[in-house]
Amino acid sequence: MALSLTVNGDHLASTADPTTPLVDILREELHLTGAKPVCREGFCGACMVLIDGTPRPSCLTPAALADGCEIRTVEGLATQGQLNRIQAALDTSDAVQCGMCFPGMVVSLTHLLATTPDAVREDIRAALTGNICRCTGYERIIDATLLALATK
Amino acid sequence: MIPGPQMRNAPVETRNATTSIHVAPSLASALDALAEYGAAGAAFAGGTWIMRSPVRHEPLRAHYVAIGRIPELGSIRIGPNAVEIGAAVTHAALAAALSDLPEFNVLVAAAARSANPAIREMATIGGNLATSDFAAADCVPALLCLDAEVEISSRDGCERMKLERFLEIRSTLAPGRLVTQIIVPRGEHKTAHARLPLRKAGDYPVAIVSLSISVDGTGRVRTARIAVGSVEPVARRWERLDAALIGRPLDPAHAARVAAELAGEFAGRDSVDAPAWYRVSVLPGLVRRAVAAALGA
Repeated sequence: MALSLTVNGDHLASTADPTTPLVDILREELHLTGAKPVCREGFCGACMVLIDGTPRPSCLTPAALADGCEIRTVEGLATQGQLNRIQAALDTSDAVQCGMCFPGMVVSLTHLLATTPDAVREDIRAALTGNICRCTGYERIIDATLLALATK
Repeated sequence: MIPGPQMRNAPVETRNATTSIHVAPSLASALDALAEYGAAGAAFAGGTWIMRSPVRHEPLRAHYVAIGRIPELGSIRIGPNAVEIGAAVTHAALAAALSDLPEFNVLVAAAARSANPAIREMATIGGNLATSDFAAADCVPALLCLDAEVEISSRDGCERMKLERFLEIRSTLAPGRLVTQIIVPRGEHKTAHARLPLRKAGDYPVAIVSLSISVDGTGRVRTARIAVGSVEPVARRWERLDAALIGRPLDPAHAARVAAELAGEFAGRDSVDAPAWYRVSVLPGLVRRAVAAALGA
């Protein structure tokens, strides 16, 4: 039975096995390669997407439980060609890193800005607990997030 | 540079092409499906353990029954004598629901500090208890020290048992049975949860000490329930330490000294992240931290 997915506003069908990790459908079927299957264990956060508005590692989300959900990947965060606040702040602060961990960080921080508008440095660090950067580039990302929070 | 996980870009190939997931709309539907699938089926709660089966080179079951959308399994009832926690309550929801009840500090800390924020939104309390091979589960020692009971349901009815008993039999539970609720008695206790991950957050704990202690009017320990997790393959109570603390003033340094004398009863488990001896050697320090936290220090 086909699964019904809503990805970045588009209604799509998939015939993937129900236990197929969502990240594999996003990448292999829909060619949305922003989410990266790095650890496949929920540790690294490189595959993070928003499912019904909440960050979830798409490597641990089976297709069957994404059925009917609103999924937003890093490719769908900008609206009408306009970067969202965290994307713009990361760009302005020259904090953009390689594409391995970064899409997942942008997803997690997009959620933080939406849900914790008064976040402080420690809140940002806590929100990024599940996003591992192997280049240790966290501090500039945190500074950029503080800038985004200050930009109303 | 932080040691990172091994890249697993390619889909892991040990998936079973015929695996099904029944998203149960009700408890009755879930129990019916589990009974019909028998040994070929299993419950699927948060999925944070099952979805990693291929990484562990373990085959998936042929059938799963997703229980996360069953209303009664996602609820928490706070009563005057006990808290009843549905098995599909997530760590994040549990921590939020009990955050204003100091007697449950141990459980809030266990639920709020495990793994990372996204995993805490998925992983469930029932899954934490039912996953026999997960030695580092935070909520297991926390619930042991709180003297929790587990409700197990099947199409034929339900039964309750102490968590300690459940941990003994969980790997041999007959097919068709499902953990549906965790019942935690309330009381005037000081509780705390001390864990040692290799990084400050986001890692499995090397060792865990959970405790629940009541003191008399002079500050001496009246009752004590201390549990240790992640050191051995299954979390368990540290009853000799309980007994050694009762009747003595509650003091972090004293508790740590006694713990050092008694820690030899733990065998420890070797794994890639920490050797057995290290897990045992950090226990006195964790006991000291837990007692200090319970005292509010």
